[in-house]
Amino acid sequence: MIYFDNAATSGVKPISVIKAVDNALKNLSANPGRAGHKAALMTSFAVYKVREKVSDFFGGGGAQNVVFCANCTLAANFVVKGVLNFEDHVIISDLEHNAVLRPIAKTVDNLDIAEVCFSDDAITVENFEKLIKPNTKMIFCTAASNVTGKILPLEKIGKLCKEKGILFAVDAAQAGGVIPIDMEKMNIDYLCVAGHKGLLAPMGTGVLIARKPIGRTVIEGGNGIDSLEVFQLPILPEGFESGTISVPDIMGLGAGIDYVKNRGIEKIYEKEMFLIKRLYRKLSEIKNIILYTPFPEIYEFAPVLSFNISGKHSEETADFLDKNGIAVRGGFHCSKLAHNKLKTTDTGTVRVSPSFVNTVSEIDYLVSILKKG
Amino acid sequence: MEHKIVIGSITYALKAKDILNGNGYKAHIERKTSEYKNGCGYAVKFDGDVIRAKEILLNSNVKIIKTI
Repeated sequence: MIYFDNAATSGVKPISVIKAVDNALKNLSANPGRAGHKAALMTSFAVYKVREKVSDFFGGGGAQNVVFCANCTLAANFVVKGVLNFEDHVIISDLEHNAVLRPIAKTVDNLDIAEVCFSDDAITVENFEKLIKPNTKMIFCTAASNVTGKILPLEKIGKLCKEKGILFAVDAAQAGGVIPIDMEKMNIDYLCVAGHKGLLAPMGTGVLIARKPIGRTVIEGGNGIDSLEVFQLPILPEGFESGTISVPDIMGLGAGIDYVKNRGIEKIYEKEMFLIKRLYRKLSEIKNIILYTPFPEIYEFAPVLSFNISGKHSEETADFLDKNGIAVRGGFHCSKLAHNKLKTTDTGTVRVSPSFVNTVSEIDYLVSILKKG
Repeated sequence: MEHKIVIGSITYALKAKDILNGNGYKAHIERKTSEYKNGCGYAVKFDGDVIRAKEILLNSNVKIIKTI
């Protein structure tokens, strides 16, 4: 099986990640932040070190700002439901995943959608700026689209937010561990990250990094603090970690970050983009292939590419490829907005998302199968 | 003389320990329930100048619940 669905989850986890999970299962079995015995403190310390790693990697402003959760979707929900009020105005992009669109649509009354320009970031920023109102509380946008791969100009949008006194939240599901993100430099207040994609950690790892407070708790329960109090305080990070956190997964996340750093985030990205660019060039030579974005230039696109075979539903193409040993995702990718933008709400698209372990010959094989089909 | 500063969460207790150790103290973490009326918390335990330690922690945005 040739796995080209890394945008869903990274298909190959490094041995170091697997070993870290295994070690945690064997040697870090105590619940962190609950008891005071040696085993609990040892596990607590190990978790703390991963918080520090995450914060350092993303410019998060300290371990205390790092919340571990099951996935990036939950992180987005914590931001939306913990920060926003019904009367707030929020701006999102027209490429947002449902993880951002759905909680915001449920929470606020006043939502606007800014158009992303694939070829000119200045126009994208202008489109966000045009929508700002006196009661705009937040811009919440993706770092990179899970359907088109388009990378948004985070630093420019962050600068806009700072000038206007607006909170800036970013969905980095497709970008965490793929392109460098520095919250401080980009003026990002809340960063939602998937541990199991570019950071190569197990599924079940997500992170919220909050450089600004979150006013309300979202899920309440036991968190090892203030047990005699009925009401849980929204104090980072434990105020947002009700229940037992997944220590083995968190250790896997720490190992994943180490792997990406040691290998070099830029080197990994360049390899993946080399494959995507090769695929784009070859697909654009095939008559009945529809492509939806301009050529994916480096640092303008993440290694994600959508296409269709003319006249075929994307799921049909994905199924055909699966029968030929190639794993891609067809359909709508949990992103109604992106498919509205591409006008693919009838067919969806076939999404290819290679990793650095994929090869040129695997890309060429995909192309050869598409030519036959 | 040994001092204990009670801090709510384990994360902040570990941060406090790191900060104090980085400022020349030898701090350790322990669980503190008897002196903490809300039920559950952690303390950093150390010898030395407690007033200086508190100032260092407050300047680093570590909330102090109680000093013992």
